[in-house]
Amino acid sequence: MSFNGETASIILFFIGLFGLIGRRNIVKTVISLGIMETAVILFFISTNFTEGRLPPIGDINPDKMADPLPQALMITAIVIGVSLTAVSLTMFITLYHKYGSTNWAKVNRKRIDETDD
Amino acid sequence: MINLYFFVLLPILTAVLIYLFSKKYMKNLALLVQLFFLVATVVNFNYVKKHGTIIETIGGWTNYTGISLKMDLLASVMVMLVAFLFLAFLIFDYPKKYVNKLFLLLFLILQALITGIILSNDLFNIYVLVEVSTIVVAILIMFKKDSRSLYDGIVYLLINIVAMTFFLFGVGFLYKTFGVLDLQGIKEGISLLEDTKPLILPYSMMITAAGLKSSLISLFNRLAKAHVTPSAPSIVSALLSGIYVKTGIYLFIRLQDMFSPAINTSNFFMIVGFLTGVIGFILALSQTDINLMLAYSTISQIGLIMIGINYPSEDAYWGSIYHIVNHAFFKSTLFLITGIIIEKYGTRNINKIQGVFKRMPFISIASFLAILGITGAPFFNGSFSKYLIKTALSGNPLEYGIILINLGTVLYFLKFLSIFKNGTGKTPFKIDNYRRSITIVLSFMCFIGGILGQFFVKFLFNHTVIFDFSNYFQNIILFILTLIAGLVIYKYIIPKLKWLSRIKEVELDFNNICLLITLFFIIVTLTVFFN
Repeated sequence: MSFNGETASIILFFIGLFGLIGRRNIVKTVISLGIMETAVILFFISTNFTEGRLPPIGDINPDKMADPLPQALMITAIVIGVSLTAVSLTMFITLYHKYGSTNWAKVNRKRIDETDD
Repeated sequence: MINLYFFVLLPILTAVLIYLFSKKYMKNLALLVQLFFLVATVVNFNYVKKHGTIIETIGGWTNYTGISLKMDLLASVMVMLVAFLFLAFLIFDYPKKYVNKLFLLLFLILQALITGIILSNDLFNIYVLVEVSTIVVAILIMFKKDSRSLYDGIVYLLINIVAMTFFLFGVGFLYKTFGVLDLQGIKEGISLLEDTKPLILPYSMMITAAGLKSSLISLFNRLAKAHVTPSAPSIVSALLSGIYVKTGIYLFIRLQDMFSPAINTSNFFMIVGFLTGVIGFILALSQTDINLMLAYSTISQIGLIMIGINYPSEDAYWGSIYHIVNHAFFKSTLFLITGIIIEKYGTRNINKIQGVFKRMPFISIASFLAILGITGAPFFNGSFSKYLIKTALSGNPLEYGIILINLGTVLYFLKFLSIFKNGTGKTPFKIDNYRRSITIVLSFMCFIGGILGQFFVKFLFNHTVIFDFSNYFQNIILFILTLIAGLVIYKYIIPKLKWLSRIKEVELDFNNICLLITLFFIIVTLTVFFN
């Protein structure tokens, strides 16, 4: 089996998942999510691709085109990914101002202390 | 018949209009559109009942290329439920100040998104709708800007993004194999497939996402907490627990149906449902926050629904679908009522609230009806749906599981009832007529849904139930026995269980939740692999 986009994307996906489980830093969590999303995008555009296909732009023979559907879908996925990253980073900044930490465990502990009062 | 895209477009367009022209009377427009929406869903429900499933392909593409919307009987009932409850919630807090143009924008968009998730027949479309609805929900639960809720909000958002990334990866694998994204198209493809090995990974990835969305297995308990976080208005909590969680179950049903030609995991999910039910009620019993009790109660009931939909019997299946509808009614009534109580008493702690009956008799009666419904008291809606599930399961060991879960429900509502005691000599609280009428209508539905249960199941789902009165009578006796057992356990055993109050302090942080999601994913994968 050759090393192609699909294999790379599966490896990337699990690297991202490892980042989510093993890293306590909230910014790194957002980055790990970004890695996972990129992996999925890579998977979609590299799957079912054969060598020599042309980009589906302009007046070319449909038989020689690469599948245009995943490409169209992935533009949507990229837009959603960007907005989700933006929203989560905005929330993170406010969270950081409140608790003064980027660590999930510390923030969680401070929150529990706060509700006990 | 009304075109299906209309159900998604109308609330969004109204929301944008209201936001742009922020005049006072625009609020009435929201109400009017909601009313119109409800009528439209009833019209379509009638059409589906007479003429069968509506399938609408947008853009006129054939061969499963374009996005298609599908409304079968189940979808039309769900959409009707969504329309009815959104209207009720809007009226409930109609005169309140926080219901401004921004709230209406988010509220109506969420309605459109939920309707879209129910109607959509395209996997990528479902992904987009769920993802956007996650953002909207994350903003809605922080709407009252309480800083304590910030943590709940961010964890909710990130966990859901993780789940939906799993979902999208699963969709990618399916697209690789079948080249289409249409649920129907993939189902046809799956039935032609000889080797089902390539389906294992996408199946477990997508089911993990659906399981998280429906808060299956209480280990995702962070989500239940996010639903009732202090800054969420009570109508938002009611909406999330009453309807939004059900879209997860609906997604689960659709996915199970799509993979049904190749993969059958119903036994596994029945056990998962049982565990969810039991863990849910233990967590509910351990709480002192009334809203959290209700949130965990939702998880417990979802366990019950899960057992029903996975059992290979028509009665159990439609019984649990009916339980979804019933649960939406009694749980939203209870959430609206606790919203009023928290507002008046200024606390969520069950030990500090007393004398609700003396100070709010009207609201208390409404909540009694809802509690009778959820505990499965005879002649209330919960009893009918639980009766259907239990009768279908007779002979299966899980029948006792259902009795156990119901005993748990009785237990935490005995605890809940303590808020109505005492409180003489205090002045009654004033409650406006909007709130009064909505709570009484919703709670009365719990009663109607019970005595006309057989009729409703026939009317809504075209499913005839053979009603055996002697069997139902046995159920009444069983309920009384459960009640007595519940009273004894509540009085003499529960106070001795010291570990119960320690459970509620267990707090998983983000990394551990991700680890649990991964574990759930691995377990599902292994189950399918060795099945």
